[in-house]
Amino acid sequence: MPVTQRRKGSVALLEAVDDSPRIVPTATEVPAERRRRRGNPETYLALSLTALVVTVLAINITGFPGASDDEGTYLAQAWAVANGKGLAHYTYWYDHPPLAWIQLAALSWIPGLFGVDGPAVAVGRIAMLPVVGASLMLIYTICRRMGMAVWSSAAALLIFGLSPLAVTMDREIYLDSFAVAWMLGALALVLSPRRHLWHVTAAGVATAVAVLSKETMLVTAPAVAVALWQNAARSSTRPWAIGGYISGVVLTGVFYPLYALLRGELFPGPGHVSLIGAWQFQLANRSGSGSIFTTGSGANDLLHSWLFYDPIILVAGLVATVLILPVRRLRPPAVAGAILTLVALRPGGYLPAMYVVQILPFFAIAIAAALDQAGVLSSIRTRWLRPVVLTLLALLAATLVVPRWWTGNQRALTADDNAGYAAAADYLRTAVSDRQNTTVVVDDVLWLDCVNAGYQQEKVIWFYKLDLDPAVKATLPHGWHDVDYIVSTPALRQDPAALPTVNTLLTNSAVVAAFGPQEGRIEVRRINKLENS
Amino acid sequence: MVPPHPYSWWRFSFAERALILAAAVMISISLVLSTFAAVTLWWTMHAWRTPETLAATRFAEPDGDHRVTFSLLVPARHEQAVLEHTVERLLRSTHQGYEIILIIGHDDPETAEVANRVAATAPERILVVTDHNEVKNKPRALNTALRYVRGDVVGVFDAEDQVHPDLLEHVDHAFRDTGADVVQGGVQLINFHSSWFSLHNCLEYFFWFRSRLHLHADKGFIPLGGNTVFVRADVLRRANGWDGTCLAEDCDLGVRLSSRGAKVVVAYEASLVTREETPDTIGSLLKQRTRWNQGFLQVLRKGEWRRLPSFRQRLLARYTLTGPFLQAFSGLAIPVGVGMALWADLPVGIALATFVPVVPMLANIVFQTVGLRDFGMQYGLKIRLKHYAWLTLGAFPYALILSVAALRAVWREYTGRRNWELTAHVGAHLHAAGPASAEASAA
Repeated sequence: MPVTQRRKGSVALLEAVDDSPRIVPTATEVPAERRRRRGNPETYLALSLTALVVTVLAINITGFPGASDDEGTYLAQAWAVANGKGLAHYTYWYDHPPLAWIQLAALSWIPGLFGVDGPAVAVGRIAMLPVVGASLMLIYTICRRMGMAVWSSAAALLIFGLSPLAVTMDREIYLDSFAVAWMLGALALVLSPRRHLWHVTAAGVATAVAVLSKETMLVTAPAVAVALWQNAARSSTRPWAIGGYISGVVLTGVFYPLYALLRGELFPGPGHVSLIGAWQFQLANRSGSGSIFTTGSGANDLLHSWLFYDPIILVAGLVATVLILPVRRLRPPAVAGAILTLVALRPGGYLPAMYVVQILPFFAIAIAAALDQAGVLSSIRTRWLRPVVLTLLALLAATLVVPRWWTGNQRALTADDNAGYAAAADYLRTAVSDRQNTTVVVDDVLWLDCVNAGYQQEKVIWFYKLDLDPAVKATLPHGWHDVDYIVSTPALRQDPAALPTVNTLLTNSAVVAAFGPQEGRIEVRRINKLENS
Repeated sequence: MVPPHPYSWWRFSFAERALILAAAVMISISLVLSTFAAVTLWWTMHAWRTPETLAATRFAEPDGDHRVTFSLLVPARHEQAVLEHTVERLLRSTHQGYEIILIIGHDDPETAEVANRVAATAPERILVVTDHNEVKNKPRALNTALRYVRGDVVGVFDAEDQVHPDLLEHVDHAFRDTGADVVQGGVQLINFHSSWFSLHNCLEYFFWFRSRLHLHADKGFIPLGGNTVFVRADVLRRANGWDGTCLAEDCDLGVRLSSRGAKVVVAYEASLVTREETPDTIGSLLKQRTRWNQGFLQVLRKGEWRRLPSFRQRLLARYTLTGPFLQAFSGLAIPVGVGMALWADLPVGIALATFVPVVPMLANIVFQTVGLRDFGMQYGLKIRLKHYAWLTLGAFPYALILSVAALRAVWREYTGRRNWELTAHVGAHLHAAGPASAEASAA
């Protein structure tokens, strides 16, 4: 093997004869290199498919799906970051690591470019499009780096992009979408064909950012570890790659506990929130949503709502995950899909509504990978079998999948599920005159609309903070009498027993305006102060 | 009076302004420190970037031809305890065309006695040259011997070096294969088990010769090592040999040859490295490091590096030669920053910023851990848990030693103390137990 030698610099001092063998590019290698410089046609393919999917996501993004309370929470926290109010406009209590809404804050200028009208949450969703776009490109890259064909890699991208369930979930402002993009980035980096130490270290950083975007993403880290181990196999640099990956993960991840430590909020103690206290709460005290197999449990309902949007990606994804687990080159995404499935199936655990966001990319890759493997296996035996198998698969997709997804996505492209919120936001902006001095209790979705409409930030109160946050209670010396309006939404009415103050407000108020259909009714209610004071 | 603009600097009170300024200063310092630490880490890890780079750092397999003739210079000063062993090993070399020139000071009869005795065993190979310079140091000794050199290539070894018998054959091939003017072989301190600072010292060598030097050879600016370095005799003569006034004559030679466009090749092969020992006390380590740092300063001030053809090379030169001082500064500034972040009541953003330079520092420790394991595997040494503990716990104290050495070097250079503080050698790296009675006296 050649020794390192000086390549740059001026003429050698000695006129020594250089008879070392040079690597001369062969005829086939030259165009390959030139192609890379000009831009690979594959890049254009992946970019156009991504553009197609992002267009599908963007059309009617404000109208469907209905804004959820969680979206409002994250958007409001991103607003707090962007406006220098800290990590949240209420006391940040380490419920989630904050990186996702810090990123959302960094992207918050994007919706403004489009001049779309609507409730803040619905418009804020536009910031999610580049995040999902990145995930789509990364899925294609990962598939290619695992040795999958162009057609199957493109299929993975399209399955993840066009499944109605994915279209629904990826439009919403969820922390999980950020975490997914970073974890896919980590996977793509460890699969880098150059096996560069700094790619692997960057993968470690990306893993940590993923986990600091949404802590539950941690369970998919073994997939990255498997890919790293496989890609560094039989290479002289494997221990260094592992060292680099660990450095990246640990030294990035440690900044979160360090932040807590510097604020004196690492350990639980009286009178302050703490990181470890929050962990204890999440692990021990959070009530489970029941088994996914028990009819009527929260987890079971959730599963049915996912299956309602698209059973294909979930069922086929699970089957494909099991099928490709034994295939070495396709194992990493299968590991992630398998772990996420097992975590969802554990009895008595808490299953959040957006959990499926994390599974979808790995299931999409698994489905495409299984198809790719079928193509590979069929071409080993007989040459004519491969086109037959591919035609069959295409026919199957055209008859079973396309019609279902067509109808599913039609709803996504046309429904207007946020009209009620839009009208309520309009009402609060126009019908209430003295907004500066009005105290209003709302759900998380409407919070930012109220602040944008000119209400004082301190006087727009998330409904559950009334009962749960002592700092908020302290701003209302006369209790519920200090509140002027409450906006009753399905989210606010969900659990009346747990929130006595909210209940009192609802019983001591009268509807002044109501919007939306009966089951999702949004009521603006004025508090009756005279009767009780 | 015009009221201040709402975004004016003067709307802040004096205390606020002071705080903002302090914050700006702290964030800038930690930015600079982070960049420095990250670049250093980047370069330290050069050889392990990809499997291909690692493969390219090795010697090519020799073809068995012996066409280059060598003159091996071995300056020895008060090193009677180790010299004989070193020469005996050199004589075992498989190469056919070489001579050994031992250079002994006229005021050092003990070493001269050993030298003459060994020379008598192989008179056709060994020449003993007496150095009559009033001021004795290594470059002067080497220049004295340069007049007697008959070979095509001059090789330099220290009196305590353990040289592999196959080395010359590989170097011969490397010269012919690459058309190099200079071939730098690997040098490795081996006695990591002696003490915690020996371990750190060994790892420094490991990372320097295994990895960092290859980057320098690639970029065309290289501070050469002090031994196992081979230079074509005519190139060396044209460059007027070594600088007798410089404390880091090896570094200086590398810089001068680089700036004249000499082609330098670095090759590392664990089985072929020259084995050396670390300084036996913290005091002598400190002295040795002070000398090197002062030498780097001298090379920087001489300004030969300004002749390097490209801006990037000059930047690399400036960066490398000031490296020890930046390292000393960060070795002190980073702990101070972290201490302030933990105990002073800083805003959390600034406090977090002071931790950023710690990241590459800690990553360096992680990579050193991997390096220690690799070192043990390559040299067939058993690394115990204790040694990993020395590595992690000793990292900060070792940085402190380096910082002190850097400060000492600056102080000595600017107060005009430019004499040669020699490092003592007791033979701890030799397989036989080193004779403790034969401790060499340091100048």
